[in-house]
Amino acid sequence: MNTKLKVSEISKIYPGCIANDKVSLEFGSGKIYALLGENGAGKSTLVKILSGVVKPDEGEVFLNDESIKLNSPLDAKKNNIGMVFQHFNLFETLSVFENLSIDSDKKDKDLRVLVDSILKKYNFKIDLDIPVLNLSAGQKQKVEIIRCLIRNPKVLIMDEPTSVLTEQETDDLFISLKQFSKDGILIIYITHKLKEVLSLCDEVAVMRKGKVVSVSNTIDEKIESLANKMVGENLNTIKKKINNFKNSKEILKISNLSFKSDDPYETNLNNLNLSLKKGECLGIAGISGNGQNELFQILSGEIITEGTSIMFRNKEIGKLNPRERREYLMAFSPEDRISQAAVPELKIYENVALNNFKSSNFFEKGLVNEKKIKEHSKKILSNFSVNTDNVELKSQFLSGGNLQKLIIGRELITSPELLVCFNPTWGLDVGAINYIHETLIQINEQGKSSILISTDNDELLKLSDRICVIYKGKLSKIMNADTVTAEKLGILMGGGSID
Amino acid sequence: MSFDLNFIGILIGAIMASSVPLILAASGELITERSGVLNLGVEGMMIIGAISGFALMVVTDNLFFAVVGSMLSGLILSLIFGLLTQSLLTNHVATGLALTIFGIGMSAMIGKNFVGIPGKEFPLLFLNLKESIPFLGPIFFGHSIILYFAFGLPFLTNYFLKKTKTGLIIRAVGDSPTSASNQGINVTLVRYSCILYGGAMCGLAGAYLSLIYTPQWIENMTGGRGWIALALVVFATWSPIKVLIGALIFGGITILQLHMQAVGLRIPVQLLSALPYIMTIIVLVVISRDSRKIKLNTPTSLGQIFYKEK
Repeated sequence: MNTKLKVSEISKIYPGCIANDKVSLEFGSGKIYALLGENGAGKSTLVKILSGVVKPDEGEVFLNDESIKLNSPLDAKKNNIGMVFQHFNLFETLSVFENLSIDSDKKDKDLRVLVDSILKKYNFKIDLDIPVLNLSAGQKQKVEIIRCLIRNPKVLIMDEPTSVLTEQETDDLFISLKQFSKDGILIIYITHKLKEVLSLCDEVAVMRKGKVVSVSNTIDEKIESLANKMVGENLNTIKKKINNFKNSKEILKISNLSFKSDDPYETNLNNLNLSLKKGECLGIAGISGNGQNELFQILSGEIITEGTSIMFRNKEIGKLNPRERREYLMAFSPEDRISQAAVPELKIYENVALNNFKSSNFFEKGLVNEKKIKEHSKKILSNFSVNTDNVELKSQFLSGGNLQKLIIGRELITSPELLVCFNPTWGLDVGAINYIHETLIQINEQGKSSILISTDNDELLKLSDRICVIYKGKLSKIMNADTVTAEKLGILMGGGSID
Repeated sequence: MSFDLNFIGILIGAIMASSVPLILAASGELITERSGVLNLGVEGMMIIGAISGFALMVVTDNLFFAVVGSMLSGLILSLIFGLLTQSLLTNHVATGLALTIFGIGMSAMIGKNFVGIPGKEFPLLFLNLKESIPFLGPIFFGHSIILYFAFGLPFLTNYFLKKTKTGLIIRAVGDSPTSASNQGINVTLVRYSCILYGGAMCGLAGAYLSLIYTPQWIENMTGGRGWIALALVVFATWSPIKVLIGALIFGGITILQLHMQAVGLRIPVQLLSALPYIMTIIVLVVISRDSRKIKLNTPTSLGQIFYKEK
């Protein structure tokens, strides 16, 4: 049976942002459609509208030329629209089978037969009687998919399905999706990953700032063409000119620093030595869990060490806490944006005030000067291209990219001498990554220094002047970036040695 | 020997009776909490149930009306809690505390005219069997219908939560209201129902106190049993059967320590009075120490306010 799905002139406005602006798209069964866009482009909103979770302000949805009302998730189910959310909608403490049965009108016995047949048909291996919290992310996703398949869906929508999957799990998922498509299910695949679009999908619609900007066959597209459409401008490949810092002043020196942790899950650091010059970017590579967390915390002051072990601009700062270090013009951007760098429940301007709570500008006689904080926050939002001008917005409503821009902006607006960042582009889309990279290069050009702890080698090679590798809490020799290749990094990251 | 056995039987019967209000209130609260709602108003709803039951008994002279009325009054009080927490999205903890304070004050006000009035005899079942069978007789027979109901309730609750679709939905809502809502479950309706059920059970627990256990009205007669019931639910890790065990231990030690006080053991009275609380917690912690099971039984969203995305 053929299925046609059409969305017509859909609009949805949130305070401070237009999530969907007159979006019109058409889909037909037998094909896999990609909905491509940066974080915050409006893909997820459109998908929530199609699954009945969010009501559009304007516009209609047609299924097989009939207008359908999607006022609740039940309506979507009745119309055989299945949806697998990016954040799983599973009940962790219930068993797999209970998760499936809660959604079904069938008797338990009949449902088990049906589920078994689905497991067999698509070669899924899942124990139905264990609690969901014991499953891997890939298995949880399969449970979500089975939950849709039980209802014989005409349409299956997948929202950023691979963000939590391993490579093997991703391959498996693609095989299944192709199989579903052959079985006549219309598949809409939401992503910001360009490679996936090209390897999986037949047609691609690109969204930007709430609008559909292009619809085309994937055969006619390349990674570069899609990236440009997604970001809306020609992405210039950033190249950093590597400087010679022989005559620059030394700004940071770490000597013979060791750290022994009481927590068995932390990594001990062993006799670290490094120095950083003014205007320089030092990259620290490594497979995650080799001591990067601890190193970042030692630099930021979350872990306090001996005073003499860290010298910053000729001052002993090892014993200082993060706030005191900020007063010496250091700045920090931690890895975990949500739980370390910002408080998601607080508004943007409140988060801005947080890392600056000693500033006499913001606080007078123990009282909060909201007006000044808000002005300051507005400046950050506009200077660092955050996609909103509403400083009252709760930070949790910012996409990852916008939140990272806010965090980096908050740090940089005080013009620090040193910025330490830890995986600053983790989980971001191309546009946001590009922006952060440009910003990091800019600060070096302004004569400020940076330390970039990252697990992304491309990023390190692009941005660093010198690079070293951390392995089991030990630093390798520090090398000039122009002598380093990805291959060399790989060897060092695995614990090998090069000479 | 037969006299001793019979005495032990009577003692066990008394322990069972004393644990009834705890079982009823805790079973009700357990359902409420399983849906993710933390109602700290148990004490308040119990005492309102106690005074309404007693007052209705005096006014109508009908025990059936008294019992049903007490359940209704608990339900109405919990409806206020529901309106505040589910519709107006107020904080569960603060609202529940307010409910208890309100209930205690309100009951004292209504109760002023009912102090000193004697209660009515509540019909006890199988009285002849109680007397004719030694030991087992006083354990199993000669109780009110509410006691039999109370002892069946944890098993019914267990079956309901584990085996029925409605029970599954309640557990799902308690686990993740957002997921449940995205699955098309009316979270607010489910939570309201659970709150009202909990209220009715607390009302019944109160009525048991003022109509059967000590058939009269005394101000503050629940004496903290509502808080014990709340603690039982948590320490029993939301398992109805463990609630029953906990309530029996608490009731048992309460009765035993009274006897010990009467015998005149040389242990400080304060220590003896504290014994039921300490022992109940120790035993429940010991039988519930399987951390995996705790994780599976704990309603993840307990006490969190849920609002639907629009």
